[in-house]
Amino acid sequence: MNKILAVARWEYMEKVKSKIFLIGLLLTPLIMVGMGVLPTLFVSQEDEHSRIIGVIDPSGTIIEQFTQRMQTRYLLKNAQPNYIVLPLAVGTGISVADAVADANRRVAADQIDGYFVYPGGGGDSTVEYRSKTVGDFALPARIEEVLKGVVSEQRVRALGLDPSVLRQIAVKMDVRTVKLSAKGEKENAGFERVFLSAYVFLMMLFLLIVTSGQMLVRSVIEEKSNRIVEVLVSSCSPTQLMAGKVLGLSGLGLTQMAFWALIGVAASLQFGMQLIDPGHALLLVVYFILGYLFYAAIFIAAGSPLNTEQEAQQITSYLVLVLILPIVLALPAMKDPNATWIRVLTYIPFLTPTMMALRIPIQMPKVWEILLTIVIMLISIAGAMVAAGRIFRIGILSTGKSPKLKEIFRWIKNG
Amino acid sequence: MLSVQLLRKQFTSVLAVDDVSFDVPAGSIFGLLGPNGAGKTTTIRMILRILEPDSGTVTYNGAGFTEATRDTLGYLPEERGLYKKSRLIDTLLYLAELRGLQRSKARVAVMAWLERLGLRDSAHRKIEELSKGNQQKVQFIGAVLHDPSFVVLDEPFSGLDPLNQNIFKDILLDLKQKGKVIIFSTHQMDQAERLSDALCLINKGRVVLGGTVREVKKRYGKNSLHLEFDGDGAFLSSLSGVQNVVLYEHSAEMELTAGMTPRDVISLINPHLELRKVELLEPSLHAIFLQTVGGTQPVPQAKEEGA
Repeated sequence: MNKILAVARWEYMEKVKSKIFLIGLLLTPLIMVGMGVLPTLFVSQEDEHSRIIGVIDPSGTIIEQFTQRMQTRYLLKNAQPNYIVLPLAVGTGISVADAVADANRRVAADQIDGYFVYPGGGGDSTVEYRSKTVGDFALPARIEEVLKGVVSEQRVRALGLDPSVLRQIAVKMDVRTVKLSAKGEKENAGFERVFLSAYVFLMMLFLLIVTSGQMLVRSVIEEKSNRIVEVLVSSCSPTQLMAGKVLGLSGLGLTQMAFWALIGVAASLQFGMQLIDPGHALLLVVYFILGYLFYAAIFIAAGSPLNTEQEAQQITSYLVLVLILPIVLALPAMKDPNATWIRVLTYIPFLTPTMMALRIPIQMPKVWEILLTIVIMLISIAGAMVAAGRIFRIGILSTGKSPKLKEIFRWIKNG
Repeated sequence: MLSVQLLRKQFTSVLAVDDVSFDVPAGSIFGLLGPNGAGKTTTIRMILRILEPDSGTVTYNGAGFTEATRDTLGYLPEERGLYKKSRLIDTLLYLAELRGLQRSKARVAVMAWLERLGLRDSAHRKIEELSKGNQQKVQFIGAVLHDPSFVVLDEPFSGLDPLNQNIFKDILLDLKQKGKVIIFSTHQMDQAERLSDALCLINKGRVVLGGTVREVKKRYGKNSLHLEFDGDGAFLSSLSGVQNVVLYEHSAEMELTAGMTPRDVISLINPHLELRKVELLEPSLHAIFLQTVGGTQPVPQAKEEGA
């Protein structure tokens, strides 16, 4: 036991001092925050200068009102209109095709931001806003809004009614999704928050496992290449060595989690938002630890027969693919967290921790599901550790060519 | 006393160690000799329980291997390396702790060894900042700092400059004085000849020669002509009346064939070379090694192999 602790202490102390660990520790929360905040920041960024919008309206029915409303409704901070509407001439000898060609030239020359052709007819229609940049979600919505208003008003007039009727009959209906807790109480969690927290926890678990897994593999390869491993396994049994490594690295993982949790708590106090229910958090920590241990065994099994960093990187990238899978599933899982295939995936040990990290914030799985997955994980961890131990014992002494998969299975069987 | 009995290890396609036996009494240095791939390292790994033997036993002071035995073993592997980014003192403390030394005691031992090898001021430096020679010293300290009863050194002198070779040699003699069992493997026959009390030569996994250095040499008899000369000695390799010629720039060693006397041979050489020194001695270990492993002559059978 003392030797296991000696190995654990060594692994912990040497890695906690390493630059890679420090960078991961500090950078990960920054990346998380960055990924969550930056895109919305860019999208909701307000324009600083007026933008010129070309309009081709062969019918000539909407251009005046559209221009007037567009230029007065949306203003920049300095009270200048956000959009300046430029009517593009159609009519006297100029065909629509000519106007479009002209508009295309103007867009290319940056004279105008973009343009659209109003097909006319006063009924339902599709309008294409053509521009070099199509990432702006606000502008098409605004054009749609204003066009709708203009056309509706014309139609109301045509019926001989007063346009103010429109305002009188307009009904605003806002439908929101509200998440209910297991007890049926209303929870104050919108789509974004649930998505964000599921996403954040998934990413954290993913990064935690990948960084520490890589550290584990790298340290084994270093010990193999400098042959210190021979001194180590003559000093203690390979089982003790492996146990020490897993223990030390788990300590490292817990340190990392504790640090991130601290940042999380500080952030939620600062911004007054609660990212996650404390009960959920506790359960997630359980899955974190289970997943961490399981993957530690997998990384040991995968890493100890290897001899070079390149091979290690290859293996790690395969494992990364498995780990990242639930992130891809985040959206469909949010839509229907009870879908059979989502639930089936939860019972595959490689995916259990990440799937649970995904499911718990979206909809708390049933108690039996939680208990069953924990039992599955515990059994898988025990099995993986035994297999990893057998591979480790032989693998750490193998040099030269890396063994084939068939050979490794023989190690497991014969161990 | 370390006793190795009929040790055997089979790898997938090769029998790496084939019924190797020898005893090393306390307070003696034992040389494990043999060409590359002979099975020396595998034998050493089984003694250290890095590998488990397929059959055969190793007893440590009469007792079989237990987990506690590990704390009485010290090991310097052949290919050297340390944790480059770690501090010297941390690394040594770790290695000592793994051999069951308490941290406080380990600290005292580490400082004493660093002092002895002139590395005290480097204690808190990273290993990668040390010179190669100093790194080798650190590894050597790692093998002996927990005061092991059984010290196993795989090629301890390879890559060392004469100064460090001398330091290591003195430490080995010191450990011998303290009654330790010391086993070292080497290619360098002159080292083995000067340092070891007993030796065994392994080839293709089998012990082909063993005993005290004196016994081994005696087996070959005083039938070897050692020469020093001036001039071109190239013709000596094809000289008639001698065999197993080991030729150097200005010296040579050769075995007289049956019926030849030293006088006969000298009269053959004299016209071509200026002889400076002629001695009739036992063959050197080097010559025995070449002869035995090269297979140019059947090995004189020892009555008790190993010992």
